[in-house]
Amino acid sequence: MEFKEYYKTLGVGQTASADEIKKAYRGLARKYHPDVSKETDASARMAEVNEAYAVLSDPQKRAAFDKLAQRRAAGQDFQPPPGWDAGFDFSNTGSPASDDGDFSDFFNALFGRAARAHRGSGDGGGARAQMRGGDQHARISINLADAYHGATRSLALREARLDGSGNIVNAERVLDVRIPKGVKEGQSIRLRGQGSPGFNGGPAGDLYLDVEFEPDARYRIEGRDVTQTVPVTPWEAALGASIEVPTPAGHVEVKVPAGSTNGRKLRLKGRGIPGDPAGDLYLELELSSPSATTEKEREVYRTMAREFSSFNPREQTGGQR
Amino acid sequence: MKQHAVDAVLIDEETLDLQELAFACAVPPTWVMERVEAGLLACYSSEGEMRFASAHLVRARRMVTTERRFDANQEVAALVADLIEEVEQLRRQVHAAGKRSRG
Repeated sequence: MEFKEYYKTLGVGQTASADEIKKAYRGLARKYHPDVSKETDASARMAEVNEAYAVLSDPQKRAAFDKLAQRRAAGQDFQPPPGWDAGFDFSNTGSPASDDGDFSDFFNALFGRAARAHRGSGDGGGARAQMRGGDQHARISINLADAYHGATRSLALREARLDGSGNIVNAERVLDVRIPKGVKEGQSIRLRGQGSPGFNGGPAGDLYLDVEFEPDARYRIEGRDVTQTVPVTPWEAALGASIEVPTPAGHVEVKVPAGSTNGRKLRLKGRGIPGDPAGDLYLELELSSPSATTEKEREVYRTMAREFSSFNPREQTGGQR
Repeated sequence: MKQHAVDAVLIDEETLDLQELAFACAVPPTWVMERVEAGLLACYSSEGEMRFASAHLVRARRMVTTERRFDANQEVAALVADLIEEVEQLRRQVHAAGKRSRG
């Protein structure tokens, strides 16, 4: 297990005051806030910062950590020595982010819920008290087809557990999740009993997954409404046509009205993301003109130029013909 | 260790009650009630019972995080949540506009 250098993580010295630690934490919490940070590893860094602050902001945990750090042999794999926490009490110490699942093996082995339960100082109860496991939160990426049809996705979750001998082990659990159809970006889905395990026979918590969509340049999505661009020829747009379009809902036969222009939207009611009510699918026409490579083809364009001599696509921007 | 596939349920279909939302945010129910009564956190009402959907859960968790990380009061935490929601909305619009202009 890797020993965590919590002081370095927060960028403070070992003699830093509580105020200096808080100030350093708040600066980093702004920098790595996952909702606004432009850093690519913001979520991971925020979890490290939270973990360091959870220990250094708590006098009991900080003192225990300092004692461990003094006894540690540099460069060696770390294992907490027996009785390392004698004289410390972590039972009623909160932290700014209490999801043990976000914290490292190092933290969980020393201060996590499983570790506290193992020592018989569980949250708010005696050594034998049943304790419900905490709810866990994670993100899951799906694509638009998954939202239309539902899907099964594998998810790897890390968690601290007590093994058969009562030792704390960090295990990875792979969970196959059946995602229902009709899910929208930003929605949360819940898996009952799949959060952190309970202690002393208590029930497991729930797992909440925040859904995000994988980027797909073909679609724009607003709620359950989906817009996709459909290339059409100038003659299909001008004369009208019946065309087949591949959509997330499957292939559909669409009638392009005569006299359509570039950017016209055709609405297919109820063909957006399924739900109650289902969203709509908008097909945005995009005119695609062929290049003229033969004399005959060039003559067709010359004829168009003569017949549409008054047409100026740059008129609104002040452009001249 | 691999388990069999488990069914996920859309929160917006079954919604959460007060206790469930509070537990999911690791706060006491009174924390939620105070913010609902102050108009800082919305909820649905069903037969006199508060019910919460996805958007409420996400907002509540953001408010908890802001209050804890920065010792912010509930009004400031709600304001931060408002701004993050606004940023998300604008990002979506920029993203969509970018696609249109490239298209």
